[in-house]
Amino acid sequence: MDGDGEGQSRWCLSQVKGAVDDDVAEADIISAVEFNHSGELLATGDRGGRIVIFQQEQESKSLPQCRAEYNVYSTFQSHEPEFDYLKSLEIEEKINKIRWLPQKNAAHFLLSTNDKTIKLWKISERDKRPEGYNLKEEDGRFRHPSSLTTLRVPVFQPMDLMVEASPRRVYANAHTYHINSISVNSDNETYLSADDLRINLWHLDFTDRSFNIVDIKPVNMEELTEVITASEFHPLQCNTFVYGSSKGSVRLCDMRASALCDQHSKLFEEPEDPSTRSFFSEIISSISDVKFSHSGRYMMTRDYLTLKIWDLHMESRPVETYQVHGYLRSKLCSLYENDCIFDKFECCWRSDDSEVMTGSYNNFFRMFNRDAQQDVTLEASWENGSPGCPLKPWRVCTGSRRKRNEIGVDCLDFSRKILYTSWHPQDNVVALATVNNLYIFQEKPN
Amino acid sequence: MLGKGLKRKLEQEEENDVMSCPQDASPTCYWLQRQTVLNLSLLKLHSRPGHSDPGLARRVLITNTLRHIQDELRGEGGPIPQPFPSTGAPLGVVDGCRERPADCGVEVQSEGSLTPVSRLEEDRHLLLCLSPSISRQQPPSSSVIKDSFTSALAEIEDLCPTVGITTLFTTEMGRSLTSDPNSRQTHPDLSEMNSGLDSVSSLSDSALSVFGHTPSLLTDFSLDDFLFTEIDSLLFDNVPCGSSLSASSGASKVVSMVTDDLVKTLTGYGNGGTSQSALPSNQTFKLDLNELDHIMEVLVGS
Repeated sequence: MDGDGEGQSRWCLSQVKGAVDDDVAEADIISAVEFNHSGELLATGDRGGRIVIFQQEQESKSLPQCRAEYNVYSTFQSHEPEFDYLKSLEIEEKINKIRWLPQKNAAHFLLSTNDKTIKLWKISERDKRPEGYNLKEEDGRFRHPSSLTTLRVPVFQPMDLMVEASPRRVYANAHTYHINSISVNSDNETYLSADDLRINLWHLDFTDRSFNIVDIKPVNMEELTEVITASEFHPLQCNTFVYGSSKGSVRLCDMRASALCDQHSKLFEEPEDPSTRSFFSEIISSISDVKFSHSGRYMMTRDYLTLKIWDLHMESRPVETYQVHGYLRSKLCSLYENDCIFDKFECCWRSDDSEVMTGSYNNFFRMFNRDAQQDVTLEASWENGSPGCPLKPWRVCTGSRRKRNEIGVDCLDFSRKILYTSWHPQDNVVALATVNNLYIFQEKPN
Repeated sequence: MLGKGLKRKLEQEEENDVMSCPQDASPTCYWLQRQTVLNLSLLKLHSRPGHSDPGLARRVLITNTLRHIQDELRGEGGPIPQPFPSTGAPLGVVDGCRERPADCGVEVQSEGSLTPVSRLEEDRHLLLCLSPSISRQQPPSSSVIKDSFTSALAEIEDLCPTVGITTLFTTEMGRSLTSDPNSRQTHPDLSEMNSGLDSVSSLSDSALSVFGHTPSLLTDFSLDDFLFTEIDSLLFDNVPCGSSLSASSGASKVVSMVTDDLVKTLTGYGNGGTSQSALPSNQTFKLDLNELDHIMEVLVGS
């Protein structure tokens, strides 16, 4: 995984999307990244409520060297800012999550959500249009009836490809708190949406009703000590889902057990190590992301400093724990002051579940090879290296900088963070977002 | 703090010992870090991001951190051998920290020391604007003042008989009254969370009392603060009593309405037959303490 002795990894930069100047508009900050189920489409959402979908170039699929060539396919405004008059609060249009539906026909469907409302979007192509109407001219003007002497059948003529995005469903008014997760069920009919205190189950076809399946709101809000932070359906079992909490525990629930899944079927919680206890122990244990493996046998959780792989059969402790940036443990007070300690990092699995990946600060991202028990730190930067050039691994050291590609902890830039990542479902291509750029990396074939 | 490419030199390392002190180091270090976290947490809870709803998850995490510190302090309880005015070496630490309020956030006031004028200025600005980023001093002093108001009043009279009691009174009441409408405007659950903040204020209150502050000592200091600032605004404004009060007690209309009522009530007691002009700074203003107590009860709704 660490590459050869010359310090090269097997990963190389494929593309960078987005403006590369230093002036970043708030609306352009990317807030969601997601490949679809075939990997052909890559969707990104930003704080301005827009979704940009990239498509893999068809020609390059056959050429292994140019596999990851993505170009803009469609851009549309998914969510608009709203104002809650009752509470005098703005509802941000920022896209929190994007989830694709498995493809059933020529059109593509995705769910996108902001803090309050989920929308189902249909993205379809139009490359033909009917021509030869009897009652209308080509420009749309109606023909005078007296000028009609013959009848003809309109025919489809080819036209320039047009990609249309249309909202098919709007699932609104079901969440009092901020939605943090959506997850499509393996039955392809239902999906869940989770906010801080509740999880709702929806049927894709019905927007006027949803079922509450988890509710952890206490009767007295002053007694609230724990919130839901992430939730996901099992990839194969349509009755199973998990949700992570701010206290570092993950609960697995079975919807067959009862209508309201307040009682968990399994509780995944690792006992705290008393030697590392600090004022921030609870904050850094808060689960920022939970993802099932493709096999459905394992589950990965991300908290502030670590990645943990759990075997669903064992609740007492994770089977693997990876330190993402343990050198931050001594900086927690400063990170609390500048609010970085509340950053929610995502994580993702490789297609065969042999590797996992997550983001860090200073535009670093970390890849962990579970089989080889190796890890590597790479940087998402368009300055260093050109596309196709293998990335050099980085090392963060606590002392002063010694060699090239080493950086001291105190020199890290905490404003440049990689929170959102997605791994191609089949190929070894990863997409991740820095503040306003989308990076696509590809593994060199051996 | 951490930023882009900032390298710390060796001599600056001791400044940052506060942050990176391991827990099992000297108790002073631990105490300092705990105090820092306490102040940071209070600051974060009080600052409102503005128009959009602050995240519930974040508030819960900060509140839990505060509760943890509160439980620790309760567990320690009783008279604490803390670095306080009486002991020698820790005093050095305390003084050092006071010079770097941004880092340390220690609110210790040793006996006989006066607040630097810069701090008074800072407090006045915050007081008058009711800005969200309150000084770390405000939560403890407000709760302390509420608790020991009657004794404070007696001390006010002794300390500064020339300044109008009404201005102090209305400023205090204004602040404690506006805290409620503000919280109601936000998310209803936030207001429910805010009621938990009262326990937090009492936390800082208990924290301070644990640290050996006598309430009256702190009250003296804080009241001096307000008295000095009110003198300034009175001297410069030189306008009728009612409008200067409403200008100084904040932007909220609720406050000015209340203060107007209070002014009418109280000036009736104090000024007697004199004109309704600005409270002259050289006029002795004596109030009947019983009347004030009664008004206090009505307003606080005890």
